[in-house]
Amino acid sequence: MNDRAKQALLPAGLGDLLPPEAEHEEAVARLLMDRFTSYGYDRVKPPLVEFEDGLLDGIGASVAGETFRLMDPVSQRMMGVRADITPQVARLAATRLTGAPRPLRISYSGEVLRLKGSQLRPARQFRATGVELIGAAKAAMGDAEVILLAAEAVGVAGISGLTVDITAPALARAVCAGLAVPAAVQSPLLAALDRKDAAAIDEIGGDAAAILGRLLAAAGPAEIGVPALAELDLAEPAGALAQRLVEVVELVGQAAPTLSLTIDPVERRGFEYHTGVSFTLFALGVRAELGSGGRYLTANGEPATGFTLFMDTLMQSVPGPSGRRRVFVPFATPAGPGQALRADGWVTINGLIPDDDPRFEAARLGCSHVWLEGAVQALDEDEVHDG
Amino acid sequence: MDGTESLVVAVPKGRILAELLPVMKGAGIEPEPAFHDPAVRQLSFATNIDGLTLIRVRSFDVATFVAFGAAQFGVAGRDVLMEFDYQEIYAPLDLAIGRCRLSVAEPAELATTDDPTRWSHVRVATKYPETTRRHFAARGVHAECINLSGAMELAPRLGLCRRIVDLVSTGGTLRANGLVEVEHIADVTSRLVVNRAALKTRPRQLGEWIQRFRDVVDGQDPG
Repeated sequence: MNDRAKQALLPAGLGDLLPPEAEHEEAVARLLMDRFTSYGYDRVKPPLVEFEDGLLDGIGASVAGETFRLMDPVSQRMMGVRADITPQVARLAATRLTGAPRPLRISYSGEVLRLKGSQLRPARQFRATGVELIGAAKAAMGDAEVILLAAEAVGVAGISGLTVDITAPALARAVCAGLAVPAAVQSPLLAALDRKDAAAIDEIGGDAAAILGRLLAAAGPAEIGVPALAELDLAEPAGALAQRLVEVVELVGQAAPTLSLTIDPVERRGFEYHTGVSFTLFALGVRAELGSGGRYLTANGEPATGFTLFMDTLMQSVPGPSGRRRVFVPFATPAGPGQALRADGWVTINGLIPDDDPRFEAARLGCSHVWLEGAVQALDEDEVHDG
Repeated sequence: MDGTESLVVAVPKGRILAELLPVMKGAGIEPEPAFHDPAVRQLSFATNIDGLTLIRVRSFDVATFVAFGAAQFGVAGRDVLMEFDYQEIYAPLDLAIGRCRLSVAEPAELATTDDPTRWSHVRVATKYPETTRRHFAARGVHAECINLSGAMELAPRLGLCRRIVDLVSTGGTLRANGLVEVEHIADVTSRLVVNRAALKTRPRQLGEWIQRFRDVVDGQDPG
């Protein structure tokens, strides 16, 4: 490989966003953030890098294995690059914003960096956009609010075929604890649940097999799954978790009757720090999840919920950029017309040197129009292609 | 929307297919005649169900096609699922076909003097390097794997290594090559596997297919 080729190659999982994708991602993020702000979620901007012991404290511990570390030459302490913004918001809520009135509504949009991508989603750096609702007592309405907001925001971004999968990641463990499943059995049992491997659950589940099998069977469209889940007689605390799941599904269903809802009482993957009702957003034809969220506790024990949308995946299902109108303004045109055009929503491309054929130059630079003889003139179809 | 989109089903070539066809037939899927013609080069086949296409690929590739959502569901052996451990695959149903086991084998003469509990390092020829490493690592044995994609049984005889990890069904191939099983890693059967995002976004359609296969399996005599 020659030197040029080496320089062009970026590390695995890192990439450039070029025009028009970079602008498009920004525009979609702005749409999402505007929607969050309109529901009173105020924006914060925590730093990219923090001291490791703070960043990985509390719920941050679950992303420790995904976090890049570097040594701070100034303080000589280890720092970490954020792999998730939620723990940073949880830190803010537990420190600088303890005096702010509850419930605290926070939104954010920023880049995160992870040690490795997954096979399905190789990106190691991506933009995370989301909200956190902190101190929402234990209200089911809090869970419903963030689910509805996530669905609404994704709809505003132009994505269709959305499905929200509502889960209770702590439920399986609670059922195992309630039935005193030995620790040695519990971990392979939970792994089997993650794969929905009914055969393995029957084989190793013992006393828990029957109830876990029925929880597994309750996964599916909400209108089928919820009655199946409600029928189960679960010991506490599993019963309360299932009850809350049912309540939240009903609240979301009432507020958004056309939203496609599925439930999955035993889904746990991707919910390492979640303690209560959680959810994942999928879109028809998109193989990775658009985003996920759910209930957790901040460092000082406040109940919180929220969600994060993964902009890299989200952008795969957003309709392409509509593209603003571009007009070429030839060299030596006075400043006035350009200002008027920009004020009118045009993108102006100014000629820097005199051109013999401004129409050709306009087409070469990707413009659909040219400013000639004191007016905007559209290029012909064949001119655009020749350029 | 749910229920109307086309489906791609990945099935493995070879050994399992003969056992799988009656199960698929029971679930209501019958491939076009070309599927049974050994001479055709075609890889994707229409079925009696509109919008349902079968693809016939290597057994390891079934998991890859399903994990990436290129096929919505398929049939893969537990050996393949253990080896790859894809997050995006659910394995909701044991089809109880393709029954065999994943085992460690070594030459018969070695087995008479060997004590597997005292190993600290083994060199193994296998097409399951991940499963093999995990199996041995669980008891502190470092496994150095030589990746082969077939004819594992030759490796010990030709001095490539002394042990192999491979699927064993009757044990005939092992015996013919002077090998004996010394350790059992896992029992293997074929599973119905489903892509996670497909199951979430098309729950009714895929749920119905899973149920059809479950009915077939439940209707069979156990064992």
